[in-house]
Amino acid sequence: MEIEYSLESLKAVADEIINTATRSNIILFNGDLGTGKTTLIKELVKTMGCNDTVSSPTYSLVNEYHSDSASIYHFDLYRLEHEDELYDFGIEDYLDAPSWKFVEWPSLLKPLLRDGFYEITIERVNNEKRKLQLQYISNNL
Amino acid sequence: MYYAYSSKTDDLVFKINNNYAQSFIMSSQNIFILGIESSCDDTAASVISNGRILSNVVASQKIHEEFGGVVPELASRAHQQNIVPVVHQALKQANITKSDLSAIAFTRGPGLMGSLLVGTSFAKSIAYGLDIPLVDVNHMQAHILAHFIEEEGFKKPPFPFLAMTISGGHTQIVKVSHYFDMEVIGETIDDAVGEAYDKSGKILGLGYPAGPEIDRRAKLGNPKAFAFTKPKVEGLNFSFSGFKTAVLYFIQREVKKNPNFISENLNDICASIQYTIIGILIDKLKLATKQTGIKHIAIGGGVSANSGIREALKKGEEKFGWTTYVPKFEYTTDNAAMIAIVGYLKYLENDFAEDNVMASARLKI
Repeated sequence: MEIEYSLESLKAVADEIINTATRSNIILFNGDLGTGKTTLIKELVKTMGCNDTVSSPTYSLVNEYHSDSASIYHFDLYRLEHEDELYDFGIEDYLDAPSWKFVEWPSLLKPLLRDGFYEITIERVNNEKRKLQLQYISNNL
Repeated sequence: MYYAYSSKTDDLVFKINNNYAQSFIMSSQNIFILGIESSCDDTAASVISNGRILSNVVASQKIHEEFGGVVPELASRAHQQNIVPVVHQALKQANITKSDLSAIAFTRGPGLMGSLLVGTSFAKSIAYGLDIPLVDVNHMQAHILAHFIEEEGFKKPPFPFLAMTISGGHTQIVKVSHYFDMEVIGETIDDAVGEAYDKSGKILGLGYPAGPEIDRRAKLGNPKAFAFTKPKVEGLNFSFSGFKTAVLYFIQREVKKNPNFISENLNDICASIQYTIIGILIDKLKLATKQTGIKHIAIGGGVSANSGIREALKKGEEKFGWTTYVPKFEYTTDNAAMIAIVGYLKYLENDFAEDNVMASARLKI
């Protein structure tokens, strides 16, 4: 799936992602600083019925959001430098949980994922427009 | 010395209801509280006696050298490795033994679940083993109540006051009516202020964390050299995500015109970034004082060490009649002294944790 969108159509993009992502609850978010990864996750969380404030987990590593119908772990691995640090904060425990896992800056985690997962790549077209690609990775070997 | 005799409190303390007579009786003896903090990166322990900090230890290479091993870089499994040496060190520096302790205080949340669990389990075990009360502490309340640590040369804010906690993970304005009567009246809807510094620094090619470096260079540059628009956020909430993007676009645009733009203008860029960020914080504080009528402002969190915010607060005192409070730096970052002071304040109110208390990653003020 590939979409070009602006801030105004973010809600439709979130709907489309949720409808498409039926085979895994792990979504990795790639994109440079300022492409709107957190902004998109904010919209996804809202669309899933969570009223929690979505803020950037760069410092806290993981934010948890819950509603009656969904629970979401929002990761930001920006400041991690080694794979060991993922294990140090218990990444396996989170991955095994039956919740959504939205992961920003996932490069350290990706090689460790074996089962299917989704990967979103956001590119900046211009100041207002973004291009998004959603892919299902069935075998990461 | 505060620990002239062992102060293991007797049953008397727990039978008396919460009133001033009780605090009077209790303050005539020495109460020792061990505070334990493990909500994010740092494992920390502190001993407080009657409001005065006797030790304030954060896991560091030095402790590990003393007890063997190296400091793991980050997070929860590291806490397991750190917690016993850090507590040992805190007791040693306070010159007391475990049996002198009156209660154990620990960070219940908010924070990283795995990290919180280490501190919570450890605190429960040691309190159970010593048969002394356990006090659960909210990390965000602790950042604010750190102002009530007895410290020469530092004054305590009178109730009600406004507390602004600014750090890598938090940006919050809280109306504090009493120790445990707090209301969040504004917070960030995306990035924390410390993150705005760090990510701007990343764009400029500075190391992580970039806050101190931007602050240092800001003093050498012209704050009005470049203008960044301030985000429009309703009420007392903050947003720094758009600011970060504005800095990024600005730098990209200028570098296209002049590849040496960053190195030629680094001090001016840092000064302009700092000027904008501080402006955002001060604008919200002005609004908060206007809305609440409260002019006592207490700052906490690691960003309170920033010289720009300190200067701006001083100006606020002259221009708007504010009285501002900044605690000692070691009590502003994540630390256990702030957990210990909350432990002490709750101890005085007989406000102890239930036996089945659990860590809570999403704990709110």
